[in-house]
Amino acid sequence: MSAPDATPAAAPEAGAPLVVAEHLMKTFRLGHGEQLQALDDVSLTIRRGETFGLVGESGSGKSTVSRALLGLLPLDSGSVRFDGQEVTRLGRGEMRRLRRRMQMVFQDPFAALNRRQSVAQIVAAPLEAHGVGDRATRAARVAELLDLVGLGPAYRDRRPREMSGGQCQRVAIARALALDPDFVVLDESVSALDVSIQAQILNLLRDLQRRLGLTYLFISHDLAVIRYMAQTVCVMQHGRIVEQGSRDELFGDPRQEYTRGLMAAIPSADPATERHRRRSAALAEGVGA
Amino acid sequence: MASVSAIGLRRRGRTLGRRRPVVTKVALGVLGTIVLACLLASAVAPYDPTRLAPTERFLSPSGSHPFGTDELGRDLFSRVLYGGRYSLGIAFGATLVAMLAGAVWGFAAAFGRGLVDELLMRFADVTMAIPQMLFALVFVAAFGATGPGLAIIIGALLTPVTARMVRSAVLGELQADYFTAAVAYGASTPRLMLRELLPNISAPLGVQAAINAANALILEAALSFVGLGIQPPDASWGTLLQQGYQKMYQSTTYVIFPALAIFVTIWMLNLLADQLGGTDDLRGRTG
Repeated sequence: MSAPDATPAAAPEAGAPLVVAEHLMKTFRLGHGEQLQALDDVSLTIRRGETFGLVGESGSGKSTVSRALLGLLPLDSGSVRFDGQEVTRLGRGEMRRLRRRMQMVFQDPFAALNRRQSVAQIVAAPLEAHGVGDRATRAARVAELLDLVGLGPAYRDRRPREMSGGQCQRVAIARALALDPDFVVLDESVSALDVSIQAQILNLLRDLQRRLGLTYLFISHDLAVIRYMAQTVCVMQHGRIVEQGSRDELFGDPRQEYTRGLMAAIPSADPATERHRRRSAALAEGVGA
Repeated sequence: MASVSAIGLRRRGRTLGRRRPVVTKVALGVLGTIVLACLLASAVAPYDPTRLAPTERFLSPSGSHPFGTDELGRDLFSRVLYGGRYSLGIAFGATLVAMLAGAVWGFAAAFGRGLVDELLMRFADVTMAIPQMLFALVFVAAFGATGPGLAIIIGALLTPVTARMVRSAVLGELQADYFTAAVAYGASTPRLMLRELLPNISAPLGVQAAINAANALILEAALSFVGLGIQPPDASWGTLLQQGYQKMYQSTTYVIFPALAIFVTIWMLNLLADQLGGTDDLRGRTG
């Protein structure tokens, strides 16, 4: 359990692949003989210490990818390696041990927390589940974690219902960090929050990444947020990866029609540009239809 | 609150299952009084429930006999109190059996998915399709009609319905993010069930328990009424009801009091179930 201020970035070879997914395939049966190809030959490599942005409209398969990487979803075929270990072939016990190193923060901060538990119970739950420490050391760790995400000790006994969305999301982040993971999936983790709170949480996440040497998979439908957070960006549509590259490459020179469309949809803060953007977007839509 | 549609929908709070703490308190108060009075029957009852008084047959309610007397001059009030021990005890035991067995069954089905789920639920369907009285008849013939025996038999009859309810409640929670989060941080299956899911389905479980208790009471009364339940000289409310029914032409009040005891208890249990079902917890999810 490292102290929050330990110098991290120099952790084992930053830049080495941490999560490698190859040729992931997943089809959901919808009933009535209908099928949904949720993942269609998805391959990606997430490197240590980076934020890997995954962008696409809803239903494009972003969340399916994240669940596949975390071993929460049985795949039809393909392989996922986490730090060299083949996730898809691990036994239950091994998988449970591996889960200490990979965590997740969800979109809806209220749904992601057990509303029957207090903040202290929620944050301590992963520690208990893995039998880390005793009561006293767990309590100390909870205090440390709450401090890390900017919540004072006064929040220990609150219930999710008694907090705002932003506060709940901080609790969810504290829980995700409890086991000192290497890899955290942030699945639309700021999409449900107000814009000002979004900025706070994004900055918190960047700060935590710097201090703890975390690797993020950052999923969003919002390109502006992706541009702010990610170094590598991957664009998904209909379960396929349509474009992948460094942030600067992708935002500077999007090669795919779909990516350009997504970029054109980013609202601008300048009213004149925004008016122009909307008009051309409407025109393009008219042509498309 | 402000929108027109919301007002329209709330025209009648009750149809939306709005929670009214007063009703909960009244229901709990009445139930508590009945349960306490029956538990403390030896102290509360004015007479020995088996004391015969051939000269005091079929008395109407009066100060000395609040519910009147029966065909052997026994005090009906005392007999209802002592009968409540059987009726409520059996209802409680049956509810306990149904909730425990139903929870295990329902959790197994929800976690088993696929074939296990299919087998367990089809088995529940089959048992639910057979009339309960028929089942009870066979069981009573096999095991006899003692208090604990009846509790287990009635509990078994209520188990499939409970299992079905538990399964659907658990399946709903399995989709929730907090559950996925717990799987993702590596919680073990027992931990997932007991620490994460169970507290979150406690509201529907509470409702089901109240409904089960009411049904158990009816089933016991029905069994006793057809002579398969508690046997004289001991008497549950069902037994008393049956005896009162046979003597309806000699004493009109005889049949009323055991019936009233059953009616009020079930009414209060149903009120309680209604109120529990109307809590925010339950409405938040079921809409």
